[in-house]
Amino acid sequence: MVKILKILLWFILALLNAIFLLFGIYLIRNAYYELGIVLLSALILIDFFILNPKAYPYRYTIPALIFLFLLVLYPIYFTIKTAFTNYGTGHIFTREEAIERLLYDPNYTYILEEKPIKFKIFSVFKDSQPTDDFLIIFEIDKEYYIGGIPLPKKQRGREILLREGKLTKIKNKIFDLDGKTFEVSPYPFNIDNIDFISTSNKVYKPIFMLDNPELEKNFYYFTLIIQKYLIQTEYVDKETGKILGVKIDNDGRWKFFIVDRLYRLSYENIGEDGKTKTKLVIINTKTKKTIIEEKGSFYDIDDKGNRIFLVGYSAFVGFENFTRILTDEQVSGPFFRVFLWTIIWSLLTVLFSFSLGLSFALVLNNRKLKGRNLYRTLLIIPWAIPYFISVLTWRNGIFNETYGILNKIILPFLGMEPIKWFNDPFWAKVICLTVNTWLTFPYMMTVSLGALQGIPDELYEVSAIDGAGKWHRFWYITFPLLLAVVAPLLISSFAYTFNNFTLIYLLTAGGPPMVGATTPAGHTDILISYVYKLAFEGRGQEFGFASAIAILIFFLVAGISLMNFKLSGAFEEIRGEQ
Amino acid sequence: MRKLSLLFLILSLIVFSLTSAQATKITIWCSEKQVDILQRLGEEFKAKYGVAVEVQYVEFGSIKPNFLTAAPLGKGADIIVGAHDWVGELVVNGLLEPIPEFKDIKQFYDTALKAFSYGGKLYGLPYAMEAIALIYNKDYVKNPPLTMESLITTAKKINTAYKGKVKGFVTSAAEFYYVAPVIFGYGGYVFKDTPTGLDVSDIGLATPGAIKGVKLWKRLVDEGILSPGDNYQIMDSLFKEGKAAMIINGPWAVKAYKDAGVNYGVTVIPNLEAKVPAKPFVGVQGFMVNAKSPNKVLVREFLINFIATKDTMHKIYLADPRLPARKDVLALVKDNPDIVGFTKSASNGIPMPNVPEMAAVWGAMNDALNLVVNGKATPEEALSNAVKTIRAQIKK
Repeated sequence: MVKILKILLWFILALLNAIFLLFGIYLIRNAYYELGIVLLSALILIDFFILNPKAYPYRYTIPALIFLFLLVLYPIYFTIKTAFTNYGTGHIFTREEAIERLLYDPNYTYILEEKPIKFKIFSVFKDSQPTDDFLIIFEIDKEYYIGGIPLPKKQRGREILLREGKLTKIKNKIFDLDGKTFEVSPYPFNIDNIDFISTSNKVYKPIFMLDNPELEKNFYYFTLIIQKYLIQTEYVDKETGKILGVKIDNDGRWKFFIVDRLYRLSYENIGEDGKTKTKLVIINTKTKKTIIEEKGSFYDIDDKGNRIFLVGYSAFVGFENFTRILTDEQVSGPFFRVFLWTIIWSLLTVLFSFSLGLSFALVLNNRKLKGRNLYRTLLIIPWAIPYFISVLTWRNGIFNETYGILNKIILPFLGMEPIKWFNDPFWAKVICLTVNTWLTFPYMMTVSLGALQGIPDELYEVSAIDGAGKWHRFWYITFPLLLAVVAPLLISSFAYTFNNFTLIYLLTAGGPPMVGATTPAGHTDILISYVYKLAFEGRGQEFGFASAIAILIFFLVAGISLMNFKLSGAFEEIRGEQ
Repeated sequence: MRKLSLLFLILSLIVFSLTSAQATKITIWCSEKQVDILQRLGEEFKAKYGVAVEVQYVEFGSIKPNFLTAAPLGKGADIIVGAHDWVGELVVNGLLEPIPEFKDIKQFYDTALKAFSYGGKLYGLPYAMEAIALIYNKDYVKNPPLTMESLITTAKKINTAYKGKVKGFVTSAAEFYYVAPVIFGYGGYVFKDTPTGLDVSDIGLATPGAIKGVKLWKRLVDEGILSPGDNYQIMDSLFKEGKAAMIINGPWAVKAYKDAGVNYGVTVIPNLEAKVPAKPFVGVQGFMVNAKSPNKVLVREFLINFIATKDTMHKIYLADPRLPARKDVLALVKDNPDIVGFTKSASNGIPMPNVPEMAAVWGAMNDALNLVVNGKATPEEALSNAVKTIRAQIKK
């Protein structure tokens, strides 16, 4: 029995190794180097822990280790890395990919001679269906060339970027192609009358030719061949250097043309520090000008000298994103107002919800209270209702300025003017606090209830003998003991509220807008929602900039929490007790 | 030994599943309204060409974000069906494949083609256009108003006649999209239209025309016709329940009104003054091709020789009745009064800018209109500030 178990465990290890190895290689092959390395190093650690008897205790940390790598360390690494780049709209590829696109994308080729090349495709048939095994005969200037299946020349992962085919001139009835002997029949021919091309064991029969009604029926097979092979193919005549490529003509049909690539790599000599250096650049073959590369973007220059954006990539920009937060007045102006409100909002939310939660907890903790469980259940409901539903109910059902229950029924009934809940900065802030208090007090109540259970009854008995009143007992026994347990939770709750994007976004979306602000800042915007607007509502997405601010917010929250811990001495007290 | 062979079997299965070539098929992401018809068309295409078409439903708002995540990795749909204003962002990211000129291109409205063009190239095959128009309940309004002046009087009459039980006029009060007709009608513009595309450095949202338009809008609020709290949901549900006489909404909403049994009519948004028509945003829906799709050639066949034809476009229209982007299809559906109403409205309209810079405009303008409608700022202040905000956002 033990033996079977052991075999099973070894089997699982082997499987794990296989899967991790495969994924790791797959990731690296597809240029996700970091994640691939993370995966492979995790694999090495796992194997080490299991195979090495000395590392026995570490075996139990393996699951945690894997998740630590994947869900904590890698995202942190990625955020920091992104913060120093301009990753975002227009800059999502890597430099390598951007260059590959310029060099190999069929859209960056142009037709040199307007006249299309006459061609005829032949293929081996299997069960009366053409297969992918094909040959093409081209007629260029009354001479005949043959091309076979083009071979991949440039690949990225499993994606083939460029294929190349060789053009071979047909001079005789029998000719050689890629080391094989072929025979074309009949011979001499013109392109229309060839019946078949044969080699040792195969016969190629015509499948497609333009303006040949019989063969144009096979357009579907032709499309498949274009799709699979010809769209990224260059047929090159080694003697003249002419390139044939398939393009759509003005009449919407696929034809072969003599083409040239718009961009090519080239070497350029530049003078730098008195020395001439040779630099690899990309030139436009039409205008013979070098294309400009700047801040992660490639630009071409048109006839009028205007820059035209070609393609961008995610490039290292150093501290630019960080300095932008501080020096760009458009950004930093409302930043401090938003920051102040963020702190006030977090503090007040925690204060209100804790006070409310604690009051309820004290009441519920009273054993003389009948139906405690019922009350407790009712009070937990706000916590149980999905966040989105609660918030939207508050927004549209209660606070809506025209149709909400407050402005429509309650306030007029009390003889008061309706209030512009969402458009008055003060009331908008009140709404945020009200709703968030409502949503979080059950949590505080539950936590306080638990903490109250932990306070020994003897303390109260003793204090009762000493003649302490209710308030004294609360302030000198309950509250300090409770705080020792709850303080760390309050601080984490503070940090959570500090970044509670969902509530603000759903409730007020940051509004009402600040009058005169040149950034999309609103009176109830907290840092994270302000950042969201800055990073994603400008010119597309700016992940680099957003990451930089996210790091800044991390330091702010960490600093505030640290200060809190120090001031409340919460940890020391707990440590002291143990 | 058996253990080893089992391991080998499992390993080879994994390798096989990772490397096995999948049969060629075209994947489309589209929103709810197109799923059925595209599935049916996909069957037809398969019968004709032997290539399967897989239609996947993605919520409209998620199509672009999902595509932006998947496409750079060489994944995601071959075709997405969406709005023309995504084009700029997707093209700048290098994710869209241009559509070469094709035979029937002249059959498409220029507005629709222009909307999908970016930097002089066509990046989408349009199939439907949409613009907001005045939708009115015939039970309350016999003759729809032709000018804003008469809209105000009609709305007032209804408000007093029904003592607030029925609202004369509702629309989304502080949303740029719904206020745009009056801004553009008086000559405001978002970005200046030049022969080489939109000039994003020339923003026309604080021009005298734009201010005049917003002042007119503010008058609707001041005269008690629009409430600052009016938003889309409120307008939609009031009209559905027969509690609103006139609204401004788009063709997408009409089916629900029909289903709700509202006796409605569609007509152009009233002229701002005599001979000064309102100019709504025109949105165009269309098919866009993934630049990294391995099936580009088939996709092109599918779009150009199948979807773009008169027959197919008509079928799509019947399934999802919106203003067709093909002229000869519009001729087929002229007897539908809704379509005629929306067509008239769209023919006055202006295509929504498709440049990525447009993202900065919505938030800033909604904020500005919010301030104006609530009386927190004058139109002049709010608009010039909005323009400053937009400039700050798009400057990089």
